[in-house]
Amino acid sequence: MGGSYVLRRLYHLVPTLLGVITLTFLVVRLLPGDPALYILGENSTQASVDALRDQLNLGEPLPSAWLSYMGSLLTGDLGESIAYRVPVSEILSSVLPVTVAIATSALILGTILGVTIGAVAAHLASRGRAGLDHALTSTSIVLEGTPPFVVALIAMLFFVLRLEWFPAVGVIDWGDVGGVVERLAMPVGVLAIGEVATIGRITRTSTLDSLGNDYVRTARALGESSVSALTHHGLRNSLLPVITMVGLSFGRLLGGTIVIEVIFSLPGMGSTLIDGIVGRDYPVIQALVLVYALLYVFVNLLTDVLYRLADPRVEL
Amino acid sequence: MTATATPLDVGQADTATVEVPPRFDMARRLLRTRRLQFGLAMLAPIALLALFEPLLPFGDSNASNLQARFLSPSLDHLFGTDALGRDVLARTVAGGRISLVVGVAAAFASVSIGIVLGTVAAYFGKWVDSTISGLVNVLLAFPGLLIGLTAVAMFGAGVGQVILAVSIAFTPRAIRLQRSLVLGIKSNPYMDAARMVAAPTRWILVRHIVPNTLSPMLVVASIYTANAILIEATMSFMGLGIVPPTPSWGNIIKDGEPYLRESWWISLMPALLLILVAIALHLIADGARQVLDPTEHDRGAK
Repeated sequence: MGGSYVLRRLYHLVPTLLGVITLTFLVVRLLPGDPALYILGENSTQASVDALRDQLNLGEPLPSAWLSYMGSLLTGDLGESIAYRVPVSEILSSVLPVTVAIATSALILGTILGVTIGAVAAHLASRGRAGLDHALTSTSIVLEGTPPFVVALIAMLFFVLRLEWFPAVGVIDWGDVGGVVERLAMPVGVLAIGEVATIGRITRTSTLDSLGNDYVRTARALGESSVSALTHHGLRNSLLPVITMVGLSFGRLLGGTIVIEVIFSLPGMGSTLIDGIVGRDYPVIQALVLVYALLYVFVNLLTDVLYRLADPRVEL
Repeated sequence: MTATATPLDVGQADTATVEVPPRFDMARRLLRTRRLQFGLAMLAPIALLALFEPLLPFGDSNASNLQARFLSPSLDHLFGTDALGRDVLARTVAGGRISLVVGVAAAFASVSIGIVLGTVAAYFGKWVDSTISGLVNVLLAFPGLLIGLTAVAMFGAGVGQVILAVSIAFTPRAIRLQRSLVLGIKSNPYMDAARMVAAPTRWILVRHIVPNTLSPMLVVASIYTANAILIEATMSFMGLGIVPPTPSWGNIIKDGEPYLRESWWISLMPALLLILVAIALHLIADGARQVLDPTEHDRGAK
């Protein structure tokens, strides 16, 4: 049952994925003027422009170039970086783990903290103690208006420059677990703070909603403690909007990883993308934009599936 | 209404007089909402300063004075001075002008296009809807900041390009919202009534559908403005949005980043205004939503 739902969802994703691939394909094609000349600049030699035109299949008519782009994607060929002269897939295999690591850690950390704080705030508010509730609401309003790069700068000022608790730069060696944690703690923390605000606010609202339900009152009337009424009856139902929100906020989180990687000089997809844009390395830009979109679509698929699993009323 | 008004416009004058009191009432209720008051009180001074910046005695935001580098905030320079001895307050106000223009223009463009295309998709359905919704789904697969960065990668940096880029990012969201609003309105009995008396399509759209979607769309316009300003600042901070010498909050913050440790004010003063404006716009949206949508009650915090 569950499997067939996933298959059906995947089937419905096909047109979207084809569209996403086509749009990334058009990124190079829609460059102003002659794309090869635009990339290399006015002072380039005719031979190098011709070579690049060949490399990017610019001589081919649009439909057949699109087909060969699709074909090479299917074989895992993402083209060759203009700046580094290496296959883009090679660059991707070194930068993708960094971005996925900080995005998923921030997502998990932010969700756990957000759900906990939101549930506690709702619980206290329902018992007439609204202090934490007010604090959460105002903090989340402030944090929603604060872009990750400003949070990062403030965190940088205090924890790296003033207190010197964390290193600001340095390579990431996956073998050295302590070093990786130390190096990623700040970026992940900064990204998670934004999630805590969003997830906390949603959890609070939806828990308050479900605490108002008759079955919760019945459970309380039958002598269940308020904490157990919250965890057994209130929280479970209130998690559904939270799951949706996690999926929706993942796009902003991914956007946040770009600027966070730049600020903390992490060798991830974001800093590579910015280097690519500055250096006009379009095969790299193209591939990274595609991978970001695929990650986003994949996480949204995952949250949809989780939603169906968490809510037995929705048929799989 | 003009001479081309349809017979259904009979009674227009009566309904207009009936509608006036509720509208006044709504404006009063809007202003009584505490969130909205807070929001307006925060936004108004910053917006007015930015709007009238050319008339105010801030001096040239690009005038440097190498004798006065890295001065901390004082009465002479409320926000201090930067690495070139430029007054950070003058730069922040001038940058705010650009940031606000970008935010408002991008939000206005995406909401306007969203109202038109969303209405068309929902009202006409069939292949029109599948085409528009298909495109919307494709664009929604890209995080907003990524669309902005890609557009700058293709068309270069600059005020016009950033407005275009951010509009591309928000338009699909506006289309999707408008589409669902129109689908909701379409199922109302008065729509059946309008169709039964053979009201022309354009008249139904203009008289019955679009006006009923305007208040929720105005609420999101406020949120889009906040998010557009944040995306613009993020892009400019990375050097891929609005580039110097044109000041914007993002690139002023970037200018101060290397000196963050000693001269924090260069980055953090414009960052403070950026945050205030974003919060103000979110509060305005929240407050307006509470008044415009009576079914939505936010329990707890008022």
